[in-house]
Amino acid sequence: MHYLSHDRLRQLLEKLTSSYSVFVPVEDGSGLQYVPYTSDLEHFDPGQVRAFEPLKLFFQRAREVVAQDYDTDLPGQDKKPVCVVGAKACDLKGFKVLDHALLKGEYEDPFYKRNRERNLIISCDCTTALDTCFCMAMGVKPFPEEAFDINLSPVEGGYLVEAGSKKGEALLEASSGILGEPDQDMMAERGRTRNQVAELVQANIEESGVPDRKSLEGAVRRMYDSEVWADEARTCVECGACNTICPTCHCFLLYDQKNEGKMERLRIWDSCLLKGFARVGGGDNPRPELWMRLRNRFEKKFDFFPEVANVYACTGCGRCITGCPAKIDIREVLGRLVSNG
Amino acid sequence: MGNTTNPYSMVRSRVLKVVKETPTIYTIRLKPDREVPFDPGQFIQLTVPGVGEAPFTPSSHYRKPETLDVTVARVGKVTDRIHQLSPGDEVGIRGPYGNNYPLEDFRDREVLVVGGGVGFAPMRAVMYGLFDIVSSLAKLLYRGGCRNPSELVYREEMSRWFDRDDLNIVLTVDEGDETWRGPTGVVTTILEDLSLDFESAVAIVCGPPIMMKFSTLKLLEMGFSDSNIFLSMEKNMSCAIGQCGHCRIGPYYCCTDGPVFRYSQIKQYPNIWD
Repeated sequence: MHYLSHDRLRQLLEKLTSSYSVFVPVEDGSGLQYVPYTSDLEHFDPGQVRAFEPLKLFFQRAREVVAQDYDTDLPGQDKKPVCVVGAKACDLKGFKVLDHALLKGEYEDPFYKRNRERNLIISCDCTTALDTCFCMAMGVKPFPEEAFDINLSPVEGGYLVEAGSKKGEALLEASSGILGEPDQDMMAERGRTRNQVAELVQANIEESGVPDRKSLEGAVRRMYDSEVWADEARTCVECGACNTICPTCHCFLLYDQKNEGKMERLRIWDSCLLKGFARVGGGDNPRPELWMRLRNRFEKKFDFFPEVANVYACTGCGRCITGCPAKIDIREVLGRLVSNG
Repeated sequence: MGNTTNPYSMVRSRVLKVVKETPTIYTIRLKPDREVPFDPGQFIQLTVPGVGEAPFTPSSHYRKPETLDVTVARVGKVTDRIHQLSPGDEVGIRGPYGNNYPLEDFRDREVLVVGGGVGFAPMRAVMYGLFDIVSSLAKLLYRGGCRNPSELVYREEMSRWFDRDDLNIVLTVDEGDETWRGPTGVVTTILEDLSLDFESAVAIVCGPPIMMKFSTLKLLEMGFSDSNIFLSMEKNMSCAIGQCGHCRIGPYYCCTDGPVFRYSQIKQYPNIWD
């Protein structure tokens, strides 16, 4: 464990900009947005809560060219890797799902793999919670325990810093000149903040009635024919925001276009709420009704992933609650599944 | 497998020949720049440059990979453009993907193949595989059906199958016409009266979902074991490498865990036929 002052963090990021595109969270009135770090950026805060955008966007890009003509090379590989500052535990938990989906099968996604290997994650403890945060119901603590290179725990004047990977260790070693020794007060402060945030999240969980992981076991399958789905889908406008904003949703679509005489194959995020998602060539659609597609989203998260990867594909980040124009609240849906309607 | 190459890049291929099987079903013969060897049951992604790609199971012989036939029904944007292809045109292929029929396991057993509509196409590749080992099969039966005689593909070749001593073949159409001398009725009607040892026989079924569903139910009723019914499932497949999420069946992805499934594997999951 080390101590890093606010000024020294800037110094570290300054140095990192030579080899990384560095992104930091900045409050813009509608939430925290990742913006490129520059030395004249006046204020940024690695703490607070998860950013508006999910961390996945730095690893599985929302839209990217994946092939050109008949080339076997991977396009777009000349870009600098990304250093994300202020990633939160809920988003890091998302890697459990993404890694399984994109790296653990017969094929690896070379684009995602490269980003996972090259990008640098400087995560941070949450210093507060939003009303929609329910990470602890999904087994995630509001401070990172894994899947980071370096983690920051905000304390008076700066941060407690620890490495979580070989890459992180090497970086701290190379930065030893700007690191200080933490004292007992700092350690105590970190513990206090962590407890306070956990209390906030716990209060959210109790208020919203979101069930715990244990009681969710088998709930989707048990309630497969329930009217909950049609009822919850009444207000859904099929925008797909819940998918794009989710740190674990990874479904995508390939499409081809011509660009300056070259053929380009693009990959874009897709959404299982959209009508054509599972439609086959002849027009047959296994999920013609919107409620079936809403159910499918829950099946995938709370039935498919527990079965294939022993993990719920929900990290309790609450983004889908904030992002839904129809006010569909995943906590309520889960609550209804467990209480049989 | 740890593929480090680009899974989305394609093999450049030339159209050699276009056979108009029916007004809506064409067979396209392709010559890939490098061979794309496949096993019966596996599929490829075929790209019309700049338009898009779609999955097809090759209908040609798996032991002759220097060219590749795909039999394509015109049903949408990509297949419309495939039907406009002419000899000399350039297309892309990637694959093969998915699993194949475990044909070697079928030795010494009675094998029933049921194909419907454009499901004839993948079944032709399977039949080539079965013909290669037919002397070691206890029996080989083919039961095929389509809506009307004008929708029947591979007519010339099929007529030669009727001459084979090692194959028991019956074709039916839902609605006959003056040229039709075979039975009429949906394919399940010609599954009656089969003399097979149902408990140990193997069935391979491919066709439109409704045909697969009713054929499967019929086979079960006849006494086939649910683990001896092999189904070639059709789902929306975009990436073909088990990542894009479109083709899920229960805990499986059709593109990598299938497209060939034993009925026993998937029967417990809801809406598999939809």
